[in-house]
Amino acid sequence: MPTVREHPETLNWVGKSIRRIEDPKFLRGRGNYIDDYSVPNMLEVAIVRSTEPHARIVSIDTSAAEALPGVAAVVTGAAAAEVTDPMPDFGPSPDKHVWRCLAVDKVRYVGEGVAAVAAESRAIAEDAADLVHVEYEPLPPVVDWHDALAEGAPLIHEALGSNVPFHRSFVFGDVEDDYAEADVVVSDVLYWGRSGGQPLETVGAVADYDLGSGMMTIHVNSLTFTSFLFMLAGTLKVPSNKLDMHPHPAGGSFGAKFWEVKTAAIAGMMSKVTGRPVKFMQDRLDNIANGDHHGSDRRYEVSLAALRDGTMLSMKVKVVDNYGAYIQFGVGHHGNSLAQAVGPYRMRSIAYDVTAVLTNKCQQGAYRGFGSEVGNWVLERMVDLMATELDMDPVEIRRKNFIQPDQFPYFIPTGNCYDSGNYEGVLDKTLELADYHGWRRRQAEMRAEGRLVGIGICTCQERSVFSATEFWFWFDQPVGVTSSPESVTLDIDAMGAVTATLYSNASWGNSPETMVAQFAGEELGVDPSEVNVVYAGSNQGLPATGPGGSRFTIMVSGAVEGAANRIKAKAAKIAAHLLEANEDDLEWIDGGFAVRGSPDRRKDLGEIALQAHLFKHSLPDEIDSGLEASFVHDHPYTTLPNADRTDLGVFYPFVGHASHVAVVEVDPDTGKVEFLDYTAVHDCGTCVNPRSVGGQVIGGTVQGLGSTLFEEFVYDGDGVLKTPSFAEYLLPSALDSPALKVGHQETPSPYTPYGIKGGGEAGRMMAPSAICAAIDDAVGIRVRRLPATPERVLDMIEAAED
Amino acid sequence: MKSPPFEYKRAEGAEEAAALLNELGSDARILAGGQSLLPLMNLRLASPAFLVDISRAGDLKFLHIDNGSSGASPLHVGAAATQRDVEMSAHTLRVAPILAEAIANAGQVPVRHRGTVVGSIAHADPSAEVPAAFLAQGGSVIAQSLGGRRVIPSEDFFDGVFSTVLEEVELVASVRVDEWPEGSGHGFRELSVTAESWPVAIAAALIHITDGEVDRASVVLGGVGSTPLWRPEAEAILMGSDAGAEAIEAAAEAAAAGLEPPSDTFGSGAYRKKMARVLTRRALADAAERAGAAERAGGKQ
Repeated sequence: MPTVREHPETLNWVGKSIRRIEDPKFLRGRGNYIDDYSVPNMLEVAIVRSTEPHARIVSIDTSAAEALPGVAAVVTGAAAAEVTDPMPDFGPSPDKHVWRCLAVDKVRYVGEGVAAVAAESRAIAEDAADLVHVEYEPLPPVVDWHDALAEGAPLIHEALGSNVPFHRSFVFGDVEDDYAEADVVVSDVLYWGRSGGQPLETVGAVADYDLGSGMMTIHVNSLTFTSFLFMLAGTLKVPSNKLDMHPHPAGGSFGAKFWEVKTAAIAGMMSKVTGRPVKFMQDRLDNIANGDHHGSDRRYEVSLAALRDGTMLSMKVKVVDNYGAYIQFGVGHHGNSLAQAVGPYRMRSIAYDVTAVLTNKCQQGAYRGFGSEVGNWVLERMVDLMATELDMDPVEIRRKNFIQPDQFPYFIPTGNCYDSGNYEGVLDKTLELADYHGWRRRQAEMRAEGRLVGIGICTCQERSVFSATEFWFWFDQPVGVTSSPESVTLDIDAMGAVTATLYSNASWGNSPETMVAQFAGEELGVDPSEVNVVYAGSNQGLPATGPGGSRFTIMVSGAVEGAANRIKAKAAKIAAHLLEANEDDLEWIDGGFAVRGSPDRRKDLGEIALQAHLFKHSLPDEIDSGLEASFVHDHPYTTLPNADRTDLGVFYPFVGHASHVAVVEVDPDTGKVEFLDYTAVHDCGTCVNPRSVGGQVIGGTVQGLGSTLFEEFVYDGDGVLKTPSFAEYLLPSALDSPALKVGHQETPSPYTPYGIKGGGEAGRMMAPSAICAAIDDAVGIRVRRLPATPERVLDMIEAAED
Repeated sequence: MKSPPFEYKRAEGAEEAAALLNELGSDARILAGGQSLLPLMNLRLASPAFLVDISRAGDLKFLHIDNGSSGASPLHVGAAATQRDVEMSAHTLRVAPILAEAIANAGQVPVRHRGTVVGSIAHADPSAEVPAAFLAQGGSVIAQSLGGRRVIPSEDFFDGVFSTVLEEVELVASVRVDEWPEGSGHGFRELSVTAESWPVAIAAALIHITDGEVDRASVVLGGVGSTPLWRPEAEAILMGSDAGAEAIEAAAEAAAAGLEPPSDTFGSGAYRKKMARVLTRRALADAAERAGAAERAGGKQ
């Protein structure tokens, strides 16, 4: 177990809703987004996308495209395969489902790239792309999970020999004993539709391959995961120390720019081929059809076992996940579910059978929750079903099963650790803020008028701070324990001004600069608004993992703390010399060192910095010039899965919690759901900046609303993508969203600096559960399939009437 | 999402635009607000060789009430009048409030600042709000060609998906929206999955009541056929009725009868058909209430 920390009682900057450091540049249009970045002599790329869901590529005629004035190069998938290696693939057996930046031999989904065109402008590149003639030999498409598993199904990847890249049955605890002991077992079949993060700016990269030095420089708004950039270097066939990635703000990622690596790979490849700098900016069609970051697409058979009094004992989950044509992150999405598989409840065991299938859809990537949001939804659906079965109040069944505050650290059956929590505290706060009992009274009155009004509640976990150890559970042989570190450099210049250097592509719609500035303010006693935050290129970089799995704020807090401690250690030596005092007699107070008991005898950090920079030879010999320090903050607590995988180890140990209450009214004639009220209370430990946490909660909740009610990448039975643009792929706007009431509870983690837990994915991990429960309550029938579109809800209402 | 190459021409007036169409032939398209055409071009679903921009044509940028010869005073909307200008105009609220309501449902405010009423009608999207409201209230389309102008009644204008009876060499110079007499009321209802998405279905209705009896009615559905659909069967049921719940229900049923709407990701054909009935019922109830209220108040609402 990690060391239990003593959190300071008073904080100057952590916990304050200061204005975001990022806002001025973004609000002024000076954010340096990737599409605003260009270099002289730059070409632009357009992709020839497959119009076929599944087909052999018979031939590609590029001659007309190459003849178009302004076209520099047309590269087919086969030609690309000569200058690049396959794409990075974290899945099991990547050699059996080889993924390349452009399709070779056959296409596996509508929108997959078959050729890339580089031209003097994007418009010319698109004109040329239209002139590329691809002859396809169509193959039967495989779209649904059951098509993929059918006897004799066409194979997406022949080398795999089936459409199942991964299947495993995990059993955690004595599931069968618990089922034998149970009085009641409820079961259901549930479907989670495929949605995804939709950034305002799509993924883009500007690559410049220098033939002289062999350096590949890529400016990109994706690839937060800088620790794994060597894999991209491998794809581009450049030495890992000759790839330099420069981060640009993602604007919005929501996970969907976590490791969107193909855009950078294509830009890099085209720069190598043409010998010129190349920009590849996905357009919306590229991003939706070919962005490699669709969300989960799952079918569950699930049961829950409990005692008559509502005590939940065990759960059996059988899930098939339709991964699409490739499986870049393996089944990490299920690792995420398993990190909090039993939610906030004292369940003793769980069986989890997961089958990944490959189909003719775009592949899955990351989307706010990384699959754990689906697990939350399924669990909460089942808890509600159990409550109905036992005729229990949905609030009370939850309260009865909560892990209690004195039970932490608490190890769940899958092996993950929950560090701390106070779930009843959150629940009570939620009920009060939501005026839950008042709404129940009003609901009765409105129902008497014939209105379909429903109230739904959920109590869900948010696991945070992954270590990539979670990847290892799908391999048969355990690999080493992974840290997934985050680093920072703090530099105090001669004037005492602070520059913080970040090493990951941290800006993806969150507030990394604000976080770092608040931490630097806290540790060094400076005003956060005066901290300069910059991003290093990866080639000069320290280990960094970036945002993802709600990890960045916590991990960078430790990095800043560590770097600040190193700076203070040096500063103390200088101060002791200047004050002619013993170092042990100094104390850090208000941004400087003072002699204990003589507060007037002090040196501020600025004075110390000036001495450190200018007067080295006036200082003791062992002190060299300058005042800067770096710190690599390693994951505080992660352990390996055991060999038989009955315990997956600790890999997501800082676990927040939230309760949401949705009040909806359903139009009985149209099936449309309207919100009457919405309340969200979150506990992500210490809030560094309550307003920015509130923003995360609101944004995440609205995305959860979208996934619940209408967002879906729809492929028809023939594998045709029916939602290629925002005309068809529907996003919630403010007009569709309730005015959220947001509350915070703070139950500090004992293991992280200041007691912070992650909060970045929170809303989306809860909203689907609360909204579905509210629809159930309004209509009197269960939501089993998302998104619950108006037509599906009307079908439910009509079925209930029959 | 970049448009294929095209040549841009700006017409300073309706006749110049017609002359350009005549000269350039079928490769030319009229550009007004561009809120439908330009996205189609960027998606490479439309690739005209020439765009004839009429957005700054002085003689097309107008909105007023004509003094009709027979006492009726139609709203006259020029082809360069933006949706937002029409939506916010007191003229519109007086003569054709259904048009203002339809526009308010069409796209977001910034889109309506560029999009035009005439452009939406000429574009003839069967799911669009403005054509449905125009057809429901009735009026005429004034088509300009090199040879002069002709008047096309609204009910004859739409002939298919994104298709009208307009000749290649014609543009719509303006539309006139008929004035309904005092004692009229309108209803406009649409269902869309999100607040800003394309409608699943639309119902636009007007009725006029004299001495408690409907003596004029109009029901139009959008999103359920290849054009905005005029539903005379529903009107026949309403005529002579009190526009009460029973008559409205029967009219709504008649409006939806026989429809074979298309299916898409927003809803199946069967769902659209159900919604046609629901929305017609609601639109007629609004219209009846407004007509009744107007009658009681002794004037038009």
